[in-house]
Amino acid sequence: MTNTGMFFRMLFSAVFRRRSRAMMAVVASLVGAATLFCLAMICIAVPQQMNEEMRAYGANLIVTPTSSTTSGDKAGIDSAMVDHTTEMVAAKGSEKHATYRYENVRVNAAPYVMAGVDAAQVKNLNHHWVVDGSWPSDGKVLIGRDIADAIGLKVGSRITIGYRASDNSSSSTSGSTSQSGNDGSTSDADNGSGNTTSSAPSAEGAVGQSPTGGASEGSASSASGTSNSQSSSGQPMQDGRVSSDIMDTSGTEFRVAGIVDTGGSEDSIIYATNADVDKLTGVTRGVDVIEYSAGANDLNALVQSINDMTSMHVKAQQVTKITASDTRIITMLQTLFWIVSLVVLVLTLVGVGTTISSIVSQRRNEIGLRKALGASSSAIGVEFYVESAMYGLIGGLIGTAVGYGLAQWLCVAVFERSIGFNWGLGVASVLLAALVAVVASIPPVHRATRIDPAVVLREE
Amino acid sequence: MDMLLELDHISKIYGDLHAVDDLNLTVPQGEWLAIVGSSGSGKTTLMNMIGCMDTPSKGSVKLEGRKLEDLNAGQLADVRKNMIGLVFQKFYLVPHLTAVENVMVAQYYHSVVDEKQALEALDRVGLKDRAHHLPSQLSGGEQQRVCIARALINDPKLILADEPTGNLDEKNEKIVLDLFRQLHEQGTTIIVVTHDALVASCAEREIMLNHGVLVGEKWNDSDAQEAYEAAGGRPASTGAQVEGAQTGETAIGFADPTKAAKTGGEEVAE
Repeated sequence: MTNTGMFFRMLFSAVFRRRSRAMMAVVASLVGAATLFCLAMICIAVPQQMNEEMRAYGANLIVTPTSSTTSGDKAGIDSAMVDHTTEMVAAKGSEKHATYRYENVRVNAAPYVMAGVDAAQVKNLNHHWVVDGSWPSDGKVLIGRDIADAIGLKVGSRITIGYRASDNSSSSTSGSTSQSGNDGSTSDADNGSGNTTSSAPSAEGAVGQSPTGGASEGSASSASGTSNSQSSSGQPMQDGRVSSDIMDTSGTEFRVAGIVDTGGSEDSIIYATNADVDKLTGVTRGVDVIEYSAGANDLNALVQSINDMTSMHVKAQQVTKITASDTRIITMLQTLFWIVSLVVLVLTLVGVGTTISSIVSQRRNEIGLRKALGASSSAIGVEFYVESAMYGLIGGLIGTAVGYGLAQWLCVAVFERSIGFNWGLGVASVLLAALVAVVASIPPVHRATRIDPAVVLREE
Repeated sequence: MDMLLELDHISKIYGDLHAVDDLNLTVPQGEWLAIVGSSGSGKTTLMNMIGCMDTPSKGSVKLEGRKLEDLNAGQLADVRKNMIGLVFQKFYLVPHLTAVENVMVAQYYHSVVDEKQALEALDRVGLKDRAHHLPSQLSGGEQQRVCIARALINDPKLILADEPTGNLDEKNEKIVLDLFRQLHEQGTTIIVVTHDALVASCAEREIMLNHGVLVGEKWNDSDAQEAYEAAGGRPASTGAQVEGAQTGETAIGFADPTKAAKTGGEEVAE
């Protein structure tokens, strides 16, 4: 056997033949490692989870056509541009999105806003929407709670929706190209000024209920055919008044698939499939708004990058209300967890230090004997430091596993989702446990190596 | 005759207490010396100074002509592991190492670990069959024999034994003394600190301390005494001027070490 072999033989003997005492040191390291690893996992998992939870409450980024696009032929954002924009957002992190095409329609001659959507996209983006019935499908629409109450509609009722090109002339929709649908104000990413923009073409039946909750020049001018601008758009005049078409109730009949209740502007909109809107209007065009729930860390930079691409003819804006509250809560949580982790680290150091100190004190005679046999202080120091590191490694390994189990259990219990094992954090946790054990053992080992070997012979 | 150990007016002083007071002693190579005295007489303090585990407050210790006071802690540790084998009353075996591992620990700090040699050392003390037992699985006598095997493993020139039979029954005491006798016959210098008259009487020479002062010396082996004196060896002495101290060239004998330790010694007419 070599001296190295003897070193490890002594080490393993100290650890495995002194189980009860070794157990104390291992348990001290285990508790520390488990608590720290659990907290660290939660520190990482909670912000991710919070981010996802917050993003389930709607979009944090909206993209609308620039005025140059909307003022012309109202082509909207074509599908290629939707894909391109989505790629840009996806490049910065996870994303969910939904597109909206807005049209002014008439129900019983009264003006309303109709949105052509992909039901799956909207459902995926807005988990907070409460839908009584089902989402829109071909021939079936989803109507807002306010509309249902006003008209007296229920799930399964029939509704006749009319479309008039005059209601949707460019002048009537020029300023109504953006929609947040989030009850959140939007702001220009450039300056964060908080300028609000209207979300959709306002409708007479929904006066003062611009979907964004904000007023703009667009919403005022976008009211349907009752405004002066409407009369100038070529509507027939009669006796000095706009020719009333109040009796015109013609249109396409749809069935009410469901009623949506969000408590927000969505309650004043009729949602139909894109195909139904195309069929109703007889025009196939691009969308007016793309809503994103973007997972990008720096949303400002993402907005800036989209806006810098002027050739795309789209404008991106943050939904500041969602983003700011999201960031604030996550920052608070992270700060709280890191402070707790720091406290636990200090407590672990004290706990492990006390335990190791106790173990070393119990071995004063052995240390004295080794010195009497000719061992140098450094040789004894190395033996004890390696032994402490071993306690830390064993405790760290078991503690990390326990900490992961604890973190997993907490996440399942609180967030109803499991978390994957973070290998980097796991390795760091084990190494930290070993390091803490070694650092904690420095003072007692330093004291022990200064033991006068004569103490073991001083007992007469 | 070569002197292995030379103590020149050594004292160990703790405040007002003289644990060892101005002692002169020479020990030739191969001698078996017993140091006797009551508790607190300074036996173990003297042994610690001889064993390089303590330094004298005054005076000089020479081991093989090398002054120990000139050495630093590392060099003293080297002297300890190369020249001295230690046997303790309480054995001081490492509790989580087996008998053979305890012997190998001494090899580990000395030079190179050799398990076969360690087993041979255990065989020499009659414990080959118990080599892989932990100290807790061994009797007191067996533990002391492991301790002796550990002391022997590096072939030391000097064996220092502090009350080696203090915790043993008669049977084990005899085994241990037989082992010392064998070592002595092989030429190993042995210094034994003891209360026990029988153990002391096995030595060639005995010196007695009382409150740190040398109060007596006697030879149990006249041949060894003659050889010592012929080689120029002088009786132990002390410079301490206290009643009963052996201050001159004449040894103050004592009959029974245990009794003498209690009474302070008696003059021997030559």
